[in-house]
Amino acid sequence: MVYYITTLLVYAGVDAIACLGLSQQFGVGGVTNFGFIIFQAAGAYVAGALSLPSDHVDGGFQSYILGWHLPFPFPWIGATVVGGLLAIPFALIVGKRIRGDFAAIGLLVTAVMFNLLVTNYVPLFNGAAGLSLVPSPLQGSFNPQSTGYQWGYGIVAILVAFATYLFVTRITESPYGRSLRAMRDNDTVADSLGKNVRSLRTSSLIIGGAIAGLSGGVLVGFINLWDPQAWGYAETVVLFAAVIIGGLGNHRGAMLGAVLVPVAFEEATRYIPPVPGNPNLIPALQWVVIGLLILVFLWFRPQGILPERRRKLATRFASEPGMQPGAMDSAPAPLADFAGPVTGPKPVGVTETEVTETETVGVGAADGQADAPPATSDVILECRDLVREFDGVRAVDGVSMAFQRGRLTGIIGPNGAGKSTVLAMLAGTLPSTSGQILFKGEDVTRLPAFRRARMGLVRTFQLASEFKRLTVLENLLTAIPDQEGDSFVGALRGRRRWGAQERELIDSAQAMLERFGLLGLADRYAGDLSGGQRRLVEIMRALMAQPAVLLLDEPMAGVHPRLAHDIGMQLVRLCEEGTTIVMVEHELSIMDEFCDPVYVLADGRVLAQGAMAALRAKEEVVEAYLVG
Amino acid sequence: MSVFIASIGFGLVTAAVLALASVGFTLQFAVTNVLNLAYGGVMIVAAYAAYALNERGVNIWISAPAAILIGAVLSVLLNNLIYTPFGRRGTTPIAMVIVALGMTLILEFGTQALAGPTNVSYIMSQGATVKLGSIELTVVQLVIIGLSIVVMILVHGLIRYTRLGKAMRATAANRNLARNCGIRTDRVITVTWLISGALCGLAGLTFAMNSGTFGATSTDIFLVLILAAVFLGGPGEPYGAMLGALIIGLATEVSASIIVSDYKDVVAFVILLAMLTIRPTGLLGARA
Repeated sequence: MVYYITTLLVYAGVDAIACLGLSQQFGVGGVTNFGFIIFQAAGAYVAGALSLPSDHVDGGFQSYILGWHLPFPFPWIGATVVGGLLAIPFALIVGKRIRGDFAAIGLLVTAVMFNLLVTNYVPLFNGAAGLSLVPSPLQGSFNPQSTGYQWGYGIVAILVAFATYLFVTRITESPYGRSLRAMRDNDTVADSLGKNVRSLRTSSLIIGGAIAGLSGGVLVGFINLWDPQAWGYAETVVLFAAVIIGGLGNHRGAMLGAVLVPVAFEEATRYIPPVPGNPNLIPALQWVVIGLLILVFLWFRPQGILPERRRKLATRFASEPGMQPGAMDSAPAPLADFAGPVTGPKPVGVTETEVTETETVGVGAADGQADAPPATSDVILECRDLVREFDGVRAVDGVSMAFQRGRLTGIIGPNGAGKSTVLAMLAGTLPSTSGQILFKGEDVTRLPAFRRARMGLVRTFQLASEFKRLTVLENLLTAIPDQEGDSFVGALRGRRRWGAQERELIDSAQAMLERFGLLGLADRYAGDLSGGQRRLVEIMRALMAQPAVLLLDEPMAGVHPRLAHDIGMQLVRLCEEGTTIVMVEHELSIMDEFCDPVYVLADGRVLAQGAMAALRAKEEVVEAYLVG
Repeated sequence: MSVFIASIGFGLVTAAVLALASVGFTLQFAVTNVLNLAYGGVMIVAAYAAYALNERGVNIWISAPAAILIGAVLSVLLNNLIYTPFGRRGTTPIAMVIVALGMTLILEFGTQALAGPTNVSYIMSQGATVKLGSIELTVVQLVIIGLSIVVMILVHGLIRYTRLGKAMRATAANRNLARNCGIRTDRVITVTWLISGALCGLAGLTFAMNSGTFGATSTDIFLVLILAAVFLGGPGEPYGAMLGALIIGLATEVSASIIVSDYKDVVAFVILLAMLTIRPTGLLGARA
């Protein structure tokens, strides 16, 4: 009985560790590694082979590599390190941009094949028979069969699980964790905001792999054997089920799931006495029940028992000094000048009474800009002979454009003219087939999107691209460059390292929200907002990056005309402050009012350029628009 | 050399079974965009359905319709009661994979709970051995090859020359557009799953015949071969699946004769992984 309880305790610890690893990798980072069980298996094999003596010692009844006979902590350390190292080749598969379920199948099949290879290649880890007689930790000093040792092992396993929990929570709750969650929600957008998605994915895999390896090491020290039967593909399904049932993106949920699924359904039932005449009935039904559990939970409660917590940063800091409305002008934040007296916090679209006044001012400002171009008229962004082919179709066919500093340049054209494609190539979201892109005098044609974003070239997207399961405030915070806690090391150093800066950044983000009149929505999930509000969030987020050049892809689409007008006013003001803006838009009246100069694209080529009033007089432009 | 040529014979048999399975799998993907990983589970349930009759003294060839029927009915139920409702709820593709794997556990271990853990085999004669040069095949194996060829021709005729086939292709290309053009897509999808399910049942039966003995989880590795064939030809492409099945069937058996038979499935795995990472649309596919 004691043995039964201590065994469950160890399994609870081991499964909790593994589920936390998966929760970090899948729930937070969004990396679907269906080969997860391989990492636990590798940890167990390596820990076993490190603690076993050379395979000649026991009369050579089993064969395996290593056999270094290392004392206690080293097998566990080895298991962790190997789990992490093994993740590196996996990063190459998961890093590829392929459909989520295709990648999942690739990894699932990889797990099946690793199992097949280890089963058939005996010299590695003794083939199908597996490793046995693996020494327990410290078995020279203690008797592993004693009750005290068993209890001790169970407690150590739980403690290791708790330490793992603290570790993953520290990462998840940091700005680095925020970047991981942003990548999970939309990796293309995270990339366009300066996040190195490949590196984030790789580190997710390594962290999860190392944790899984550790779980294997802890397990093998207790059960003293490890064979291919112990890590069939179905075990991966069990772990995924546990994390989903517990609550995706919630580490406590992952631990709860570990106790509910693998421990309660897999291990606890192992000791139900077999049915006479059909000894396999219980184990078989156990798998059926796990299958049913997965379906029932995904149907009735797909968010899990403990859903991901909403991080109410604005509410948490609201009671503290420096957070009251009106105080943001003095906030020592990177955006203080931006929210300062030049513009003043201007609510958009909410205060209806001011609209008429705003409109008259707006027309005047736009006219003034058209008449007198800014003094600094040097080119900051330029593309030459840009070409993009899709399966032989030339969507963009030799486009050359130059964008001047501090100007609000418009790009118009009929559907399929290649406007969005040009924008995507400028930002680096889409590689160009040929041509050259110069930003701040440097050739950035080959640079990935996140590097261009870090240089100050930031884009928005035509389709809604908010990070759905981040709050509005978090969405804004994600875009801010050079955060102290936005790296693995920074995250590990803890809140003491990045907390003060975080406070300042929250101030500046709230100032931005105030300016656009969305302060009240700071703690709402961005995915829950209306279409127009989401567009605003996206523009605000792009502005938080303090871009030198802002590329907007139809920012007014689906937005109420009055709100669109107010957004236009804000953009004009940004240009006066020195930001360069390039805007793709369908609505000609917006071009009339705000943009100068305007490029007209048709069939992947530049048809004309110049002031909108002049373009309207050109016959070929009108024709392209009406006919196209 | 003769071993090499003999392996081509076995490769053709494997390819024949694989073609039945892969075409069914790829048709399901084509019309519903779901990777039905429970396919192997349905195959084995169908194989056991024929076994249940065979065990009671019914000739296996007379029991065959039971396998086909069970495969067809089970597949339709799977789609209409599980995949479609989950899909309507906006379940992500990843969660769908987990749903399919959960169904696999239910089907395979449910079968095991009923039938027991020991492997079984049909009571049947493999027939005389026919020699074609170095290739030696039993009559049953030749029948399987012939059956598969006939079914492939029927599938070709269905897709190419019937109204239903046209409706299937339209639904696969763009379901909403097809519906707006007056095609009853729900019915087309159900019929497609019925037909592909019948193929799945037939594949289960021939798989069980060809492998001699089988158990509830025997199709786990075979599913890897199916996936490899499907992705090689391009998911959703029936002709691609046929070609893929031929290549994978031959590649696994021929490599078994050259290297060691323990690792023959690794060839399929390498091909699958290469296709997934380099060209997930397959050799014949264009759809992403």
